[in-house]
Amino acid sequence: MPFRTIWKSSPKFRIGVIIFMTLVIAAVFHQLIITWYLGPDVNVPEAGSSGAIFQDPSWKHPLGTDRFGRDWLGMILVSLPVSLTVSVLAAIISVTLGSTVGFVAGFKGGKIDTVLRMLTDILIVVPTFPLIMVLAAYARALSTVELALAISIFAWATSARVIRTQVLSLRERPYIELSRMTNMSDREIIIQDILPNMIPYLGINLAQATISSAFALVGLTVLGLAPRGLTDLGALVNLSLSWAVLSLGNWWIFAAPVAVLTALFFGLAMVNMGMEEFYNPRLRGTS
Amino acid sequence: MSMGASSREAQVIEQDQFDEQMDAARKTRLNPTLAYILRRLGLFLVLIWGALTLTFVFIRLIPGNPIDALVTQMEIQGQYGGVDTSTQIVEFYEEEFGLNGSIPEQYVSYLNRVIIHQDFGPSLVSYPVPATELIARALPWTIFLVGMSVIMGWLFGVVAGCAVGWARKSRWSGWVTNFCLVTANIPDYFFALWFVFIFAYALDWFPANGAYDASLRPGFTWPFISSMFYYAALPIASSVLVRATDWLISTRSLVVNILGEDYLTYAQARGLKNKNILTRIVMRNTWLPQIAGLGISLGGIVGGNILIENLFRYPGIGTLMVEATALKDVNTMMACLSMMIILVLSANLIIDLLLPIIDPRVRRS
Repeated sequence: MPFRTIWKSSPKFRIGVIIFMTLVIAAVFHQLIITWYLGPDVNVPEAGSSGAIFQDPSWKHPLGTDRFGRDWLGMILVSLPVSLTVSVLAAIISVTLGSTVGFVAGFKGGKIDTVLRMLTDILIVVPTFPLIMVLAAYARALSTVELALAISIFAWATSARVIRTQVLSLRERPYIELSRMTNMSDREIIIQDILPNMIPYLGINLAQATISSAFALVGLTVLGLAPRGLTDLGALVNLSLSWAVLSLGNWWIFAAPVAVLTALFFGLAMVNMGMEEFYNPRLRGTS
Repeated sequence: MSMGASSREAQVIEQDQFDEQMDAARKTRLNPTLAYILRRLGLFLVLIWGALTLTFVFIRLIPGNPIDALVTQMEIQGQYGGVDTSTQIVEFYEEEFGLNGSIPEQYVSYLNRVIIHQDFGPSLVSYPVPATELIARALPWTIFLVGMSVIMGWLFGVVAGCAVGWARKSRWSGWVTNFCLVTANIPDYFFALWFVFIFAYALDWFPANGAYDASLRPGFTWPFISSMFYYAALPIASSVLVRATDWLISTRSLVVNILGEDYLTYAQARGLKNKNILTRIVMRNTWLPQIAGLGISLGGIVGGNILIENLFRYPGIGTLMVEATALKDVNTMMACLSMMIILVLSANLIIDLLLPIIDPRVRRS
């Protein structure tokens, strides 16, 4: 992936990556940040409960406290890694699964292709979010990995379709025929000729899949249908709505997780757009 | 997973599928159009059966027995006692909900009930109201909300896209395009959250809950209808924003392509006025491919927007689905899912059958 080239040529990509990496760094070092401003003996995930509920923002609690006296900024910092992990993991699984399926379908062709294509079409057409809802709501004790798997069960179809189209068009190129004539085995053709050309599509797919998975996760948690014990940003939004903070007046409890989520999606969207623009010049804003 | 295929992808997908099916149809000896129609209808029936089976298997495979939940609930309310009574009660409810017999038996009786009688059984959410009736109550609201969003988003997007494409060399066009490129990738739920925050909470311009003013009675009266639109303003606005930006992008790229064509340069050289070029040539060539995408969007009406409905506590299918899932109401869940799937498949079928008629370029390929 020509990361540096895209970085240099696309301002959207730069902005997106900076935003996303800021969130990742905040997630990785969340423990340090919490200890830094709340004091050394703070226990996460209670995140520094000082007992007083619904406090206004102050130096000690930059975003105030919530219904149970927990520091809200601490809660956000604790949920951020969960959100990021599940989304990225689900994206990686679904792109891997989807591109394998798409690849096999495109490369082999014939009956396998027809069957796989029908399956993919069904999964694309059918509204999968309700299915994910039902799945997650029933399996109440899911770990992060299992939840990521559940989300990716339905999400791989779009990757499969894109990769399959790409493989189909690549298969007919002259240099592939040349490789066949020089008696290269199938595996060598795949690795040396086809895969390098797929990398841009895989990259864009990964960005798109991260957005979809993150949205699926937020959708689950905001509705309150996610596994118990899983606190992520969407769950915080759900909590703030259930406490009716907008009517109570401490709107920052609602606005803060929403802002972080918006930043996450914005950053990912920019990364996605940057990569798409780089590989498809017709999409550039001013043509 | 696409929460709604974007219009750009949709066109490619439709063209793909149509080409493949037409190729297969041409190989038979029947009139190709007839063969195509039959093939498409056959595919439709197979997909419907597949969807119903998928729903059934999916819900049956999930652990947890709704009857247990119901019995526990009755226990709490102190409504029964004794082992005999409880066995009879469980058997009765199992029969009611179609849960007796082995799985294959249940499957056959399920297909029988659904296809022939369109009966999904009683719901648990409000027993003994049948699940189909709950859906009948909720569906119009969802269709109103998402239908308005889709149509308005399409109109705004296509018109604005033409304008932006026409002015493609100007700076404002570039800014608008960039704005839309980013906005189209952000899910509409976030705009809904911010709209609630800004317009409902901070500015108090619009309400944030419900479908209409609780003090009004439903009917074709002006106060009710205007209240309906007032309450739907925010949810529709957030959806329209994202959809319109998406349509704007695809329309703009279509317009830019058309404007680069030779025949337009020729028309201009012959002295055809700009206004005529815009209306007669550009717009005619643009709205046609976008109609296919519109059809696909309309098909996704029912499945979409569970989150927005939940946020605004709008009494549509989405909210019903969430309630049913929380209560493990198997019948309502199956009914909702099946209906969503069937509607999407039907919309795709209609588009596939109509597209060759309205767009001659598709036919010719």
